[in-house]
Amino acid sequence: MRTSRALALIVLFFVAVGAAWWWFHRSPAFGDSITVYYTKPDGTTLAPWRVSLGPARDPQSVAFYAATQAVAGPPPGTDAVRFPAGTRVRSVHVHGTTADVDLSKEVAGSSQEGSFAEAAEFKALVWTLTQPSLHVSTVTVTVDGAQVATLPGGHLELDGLTRSSF
Amino acid sequence: MGSRGRRSSALILAFALAFVANAAHAGAQERAPLLWFQGTRLIFESPVPQNGDLAVSTRDPGLRRFLDRLGATFSYEPQSRYAVITAQDRRTIVFTVGDPWYTAAGVRSRAPFAPTADGSDVVLPFLTLARALYVEPVADGGEMVLQPRIGVLDVHADGSRTIVTVRAAMPLITQNTNDLPDRLQLTFVGQGTSLAPSRRAPGSALDAIDLTPGGTVRVPTTTLTLAGIPGSVHHVVPGTSPDAFSVVFEPRGPVAVNAPPTPPPLPQSDQNPPDYGATPAPLIVAGRATVTDLAFVQGTDDALTVRVALSGAASYEWHRLLDHRWYLDLASTTLQGPGRDERPSFGAVQAVRVRQTGSTDTPAVRIAFTLAGDQAVDVQPSATGLTITVSTQPAYDTARVGTGRTGGPPVAVSSVAPEAMPPAEPWKFGAPTGVANPRLIVLDPGHGGADTGTAHNGLVEKTLTLDIAQRLRSILVAQGWQVKLTRETDVDPVSQDNIAKMRADGKPNADDRAYLQTRCDVANSAGARLFISIHVNSAPFASARGSTFYWYKPQDAPFAQALEKGVVASAGTVDDGVRHENFYVVRHATMPAVLIETAFATNPSDVELLRQPSFLQNVAQGMANGIKAFAGAPASNAVSKQ
Repeated sequence: MRTSRALALIVLFFVAVGAAWWWFHRSPAFGDSITVYYTKPDGTTLAPWRVSLGPARDPQSVAFYAATQAVAGPPPGTDAVRFPAGTRVRSVHVHGTTADVDLSKEVAGSSQEGSFAEAAEFKALVWTLTQPSLHVSTVTVTVDGAQVATLPGGHLELDGLTRSSF
Repeated sequence: MGSRGRRSSALILAFALAFVANAAHAGAQERAPLLWFQGTRLIFESPVPQNGDLAVSTRDPGLRRFLDRLGATFSYEPQSRYAVITAQDRRTIVFTVGDPWYTAAGVRSRAPFAPTADGSDVVLPFLTLARALYVEPVADGGEMVLQPRIGVLDVHADGSRTIVTVRAAMPLITQNTNDLPDRLQLTFVGQGTSLAPSRRAPGSALDAIDLTPGGTVRVPTTTLTLAGIPGSVHHVVPGTSPDAFSVVFEPRGPVAVNAPPTPPPLPQSDQNPPDYGATPAPLIVAGRATVTDLAFVQGTDDALTVRVALSGAASYEWHRLLDHRWYLDLASTTLQGPGRDERPSFGAVQAVRVRQTGSTDTPAVRIAFTLAGDQAVDVQPSATGLTITVSTQPAYDTARVGTGRTGGPPVAVSSVAPEAMPPAEPWKFGAPTGVANPRLIVLDPGHGGADTGTAHNGLVEKTLTLDIAQRLRSILVAQGWQVKLTRETDVDPVSQDNIAKMRADGKPNADDRAYLQTRCDVANSAGARLFISIHVNSAPFASARGSTFYWYKPQDAPFAQALEKGVVASAGTVDDGVRHENFYVVRHATMPAVLIETAFATNPSDVELLRQPSFLQNVAQGMANGIKAFAGAPASNAVSKQ
C-alpha cells in the first residue's frame, strides 16, 4: 500500500515537472502569416502587409524572418521609406520581451538620408517586431555586432526602442 | 583459403571500393557543369549536383560573388531556419532549412531539394535561387550560361494613363532607342527574356507591347516596343534601382508633351498592399474611433488621471480657456455609453464632464475640466488611447491650444489580432520644475567637425545650421534674450566628463551619447528657458520637401507648433508637420525643446531656397516669431516667472 502510494506520488511529480516544462517552453502559436509594417513616404504613416510563413514557427525563426522582411521593405513598386540598399539582418535574438537586432553596416547609409528616413525605417522595424504574436516589447539595435546608441544621421536613439518611441 | 589469401582478397576489395568511390566522386565533379555568368566563369568550391540542381553552400565565395553582382543580399543565422535573399529591387526569396518549398516575391514554389544547414551557413539549390533572381540557366554546348533576364513586364491602367513597368536581373543597358511621342522602342543588351512576346492592351492609351529576344545565348538582347494609340504621348520614369523603370503613356490632353515627368501612381497601391501569400486585410479608416472606457484615478500629490481607452485612431485638439476651463475634443469619435459627470473630492479639478458632441456625420467626444486655476495638464497619447493628467501644480507653460493623434495607426483588422501595446516607456526626464534663467535660449546648430550631417547638391548641413543659428541669435539678442550656442565654430562639442560618466554608467556606445548629451547640458546646466536644435533634412525621395518640427516631451509640442507657424509663414517652406520622434537632444533637454529640420537638401525647390542667404534669414526670423508666440517677450516672461 505504501509502495503504491509512493509510486503514485512519483508519477504525479513527473507529470507536474512535465507540465511545468511544457508551460515554460511552449511556442507561441503563429498563423500562416505575420504582419510586416512599412512607412509611407510621408515618414509617419505605417501600413501593414502580410507575409506568409514557412514551416518554421519557433519564435527565433519568426522574429528573424519578420526583421528581414521589414528591412527588405514592401514589394517593389510600393512607395515606402526603405532601409539603405544592402542593409541586411545579421541576427535577431529574442530574450524575454526584448529583441536584439544586429544589422549590417550598410544601415549607416541612413546618415546621408537624415532623420526623416532614419526615423521612418526604424519605426517600421520596431512595429513589426513588437506585433502581439511575437511577445516583444523592446528592440535594441546593434550594427555589425557593435552597440551603438545612435546613428549619425538623425540622432535617433537605438537602444530600448518601443512603439512609444515614435 | 589461407590467411594470405584472405589478406589479398581484402586488399583487392579495398582497392575496388576506393576506385568506385573515386570514380563516383569524379563523375559527380564531371556532372557539375561549367557555369558562365556575364562573360566570366562562375567557380564554386564544391558544387554538388542534386536532382537537376546544384547544392551550393552560402559559405562558397562563388555564390557570394554571384549575389554581389546582382546587388542581392543574404541573411541567415543558425538559430533561425529561414534564409532570406533580398534582390536589388527588394523582392525577397525565402528558403527554409529542411523544407523544399520556397517563396519568391510571395509566390510559393518547390525546389528540387530542401536546403540544409551547414554550420553557420546553409546549402541552397543554386539554380533555383538564380531563376528566382531572374537569371536563367541556359545550356550552351557542354556548358551552362547563366543568362540575366527581363523578369517582369507589368502593365497597369490608371484612368486614361497606362503604365508599363520593367524589372530585370541586372541594370538595364540600352543599345538602340527609337523614341517617338506615341511609340517607344528600346533594345537592352545583356538581358534575355522568356516573357510572352506580345501583348495587347485594348481600351488604354497603349495599343501593343512587343518583346523580341535576339543576340546569342552568351550576349542576349531584348527589344521592347511600346506602341501607343494615335496621338498618345509618353514619358519614362526611372525606377528606384537601375534594374527597373516605368513608361507612362497617356492620350494627348491638356498635359504638355514636354512636361517634366511626374512619378506615376504605383502599380500596386500602398492603400491595398500587395499580397505575399495571404489576402490583405482591409484597413481601418483613421478617425473612426470609439471611446470604450473611461477611468478616473487619484494619483500621487492628488493629481487626477483620466485614462481614455480608444478603439481606432483619432486626432484631438485641446484648449485652455481664460476662465480656468480646459477641454479636449476627440474628432470623429463616438462615446460608448452615456456621458459622465465627475466631481473629484481631491486635487485641483472641480469638475469633469465627458460628452458626445458634434453631429451624426462628424461625431466628437469632448472631455472638459473645470480647474481651480492654471494647473498643468499633461496629455499622453498612446496606441490604445489617451491619458490626461491634471496636476495640482500650476502650469509652467500655459499654452492655450494643442493638437495630436492617438490610437494605433491603420492596421489590418480582419487578420491581425488586436494590437496589445507594450507598456509605454516611462518618461525619464520630467517637466522642469523651475527655470534658472528664463531669459536664456540655447540654440544647437546640428552636427559639426567631422560629423558633417547630410551633404547633397553642394550643401553641407553643419555649415547651414551654424549660419541659421548665428542669424537667429542676432535677432533674439536684439529682442532682449540671452542666447547661447552649443557650438560657435565647425566643431562637434563633447565633454570628457560626459564620456567618463556615460562609460561609468555602462551605457552602450558611451562616446556617441556623450556628444549629444554635451549639447543638452549646455541648456540643462544653465537652466535655459528654451532649446532649439537646428538641422537640414534629406530623404531618399527628391519629392520630400518642407520644414519638419520634432518634439518628444509633452511641453515640447506647443513650442513645436509655434515654431511651425512662424517658420512656414516667414520662410514660405512647405509645412511638413509637427512630429513626435525619439530624438536624443529633444528628449534629454529638460526644457521645452524642438528639433527643426528646416528644409530638404535633396529636393530641388528646397535646395534653391537653402542656397539663398535671404531664405536662411527668413527661417531665423520665423523661428524668432515662433519663440515670441510661445514664450512672449523676454522681459515680461522674466517678470512673470519671478
